[in-house]
Amino acid sequence: MDEEQLVSKKEVLELAGISYGQLYRWKRKGLIPEAWFIRRSTFTGQETFFPREKILERVARIKDMKDTHPLDDLADVITEQVNAKLQVSLERIRRMKGVDASVLEACDIQAGPKKVLSIQDALCVGAVSRLKPTARAEELDLVQRTLRARVDEALLERITAGRLDLHLLRKRISGGGISAEISLVVIAPADAVFDPDVTTIGRVDLQDLLDRIKLNVAASEEGPGSGRSAPEEER
Amino acid sequence: MSDERRSISMSGAGKLSGGDYARVSIAGAGKVDGDLKAEEIRISGAGKVSGKTEATTISVSGSGVFDGSVTADEMAVSGAGRIEGDAKVKEMKCSGSFRVSGNLSSEYVKVSGHIRVGGNLEADIFKASGGFDVEGLLSADKVEIHLGGKCSAREIGGESIHVERGGLREKSILLDGLVRMFWRGAAAELTTTSIEGDEIELEGTTADVVRGKRVVIGPGCHIKTVEYMETLDVHDDAEVEKQTKV
Repeated sequence: MDEEQLVSKKEVLELAGISYGQLYRWKRKGLIPEAWFIRRSTFTGQETFFPREKILERVARIKDMKDTHPLDDLADVITEQVNAKLQVSLERIRRMKGVDASVLEACDIQAGPKKVLSIQDALCVGAVSRLKPTARAEELDLVQRTLRARVDEALLERITAGRLDLHLLRKRISGGGISAEISLVVIAPADAVFDPDVTTIGRVDLQDLLDRIKLNVAASEEGPGSGRSAPEEER
Repeated sequence: MSDERRSISMSGAGKLSGGDYARVSIAGAGKVDGDLKAEEIRISGAGKVSGKTEATTISVSGSGVFDGSVTADEMAVSGAGRIEGDAKVKEMKCSGSFRVSGNLSSEYVKVSGHIRVGGNLEADIFKASGGFDVEGLLSADKVEIHLGGKCSAREIGGESIHVERGGLREKSILLDGLVRMFWRGAAAELTTTSIEGDEIELEGTTADVVRGKRVVIGPGCHIKTVEYMETLDVHDDAEVEKQTKV
């Protein structure tokens, strides 16, 4: 399974400066998914742990927005089944970490004022910006073509419900003195296993990406300037 | 919008097909087939709904069984109520015996009888002076328990959690009798594995671990571990095996 770093509930309260009351309230409102509560027995008894990056990022975003948005609205953004027609303002997406002109270009998106993106476009931008450091240009193209062709309402719902990753793979095939390398894009659970000749070039947690996009949409009503980027990107 | 919905009152034994009604009142033995939507539902006899129920107010003073989920603004159970699905009820008052097989989510829950929840019980405010058994998490901003029977929850979490012995049980002879009937001889105490909150004051509580900012462990408590952030008071008549300031 995941070798994600875990953080105890006590640490979350301390690091984020929040109270038990807030944490339980946010859980009740559906702002923190049930699946993130990982119960382990420790020497002090049962304790709850969370995936470190996810919880700290989520809590920071909730803290950011809770004074300007009712908790129920935030919950709508996070828990709502994704609407394939969801529109995301380009302005917002540009504020996401790692998104620059070259990413937009790689995704074939022309910048313009008041431009809105489809959820597929937004996922492309997010995935490309994360894979850019390790992937080749033609692989980035494959990634965005895959997302545009394959992400439909049903897949969006699966991404919302559980963790699905986009895996960028390379495989070398050789025989008869000829050797070729092919690139593959697979959307599968994070712990998918591939054959031994496959090298993983990059992986994007689509659920996490979608959450960020949706939170960005919610934050967009705050107006420009307050779009603080997430404290830490993934590995 | 003109309201042309019908009102139905069943006083004998009868069957009703589901639908959208203004008022449904079951005084005899009535069964509703399918999903039921109504402004007001009153069950004073024996009523059963086989589908989902959606209403503004529901009152059960006889025996009411809801086979599907229930959504309501207000629900009062003074007889015996049972919900087989999840319940979303803004204001829930239970002075009789009530059982929810799924989760109960609410804004305000008041229990003076007995409530049993198969999943989680979530509310902004939870007040109990009777008994309860929550198989999952009991979570509320404010948890106020006046031990009036056997109380248990797998876990309890919230902002302020107060547990007091010798409940402020409502001075109703009938209610007293009812509670006793269901919970004869049961000691008034709270049992749980863990309690987490910002302000915690406990009496008559047995728990593996209590974690909180400001914690008071009062008489009759048996706690294996207390982890507190600011202050801890332990009463002479309480047992705390291990305490750590974190």
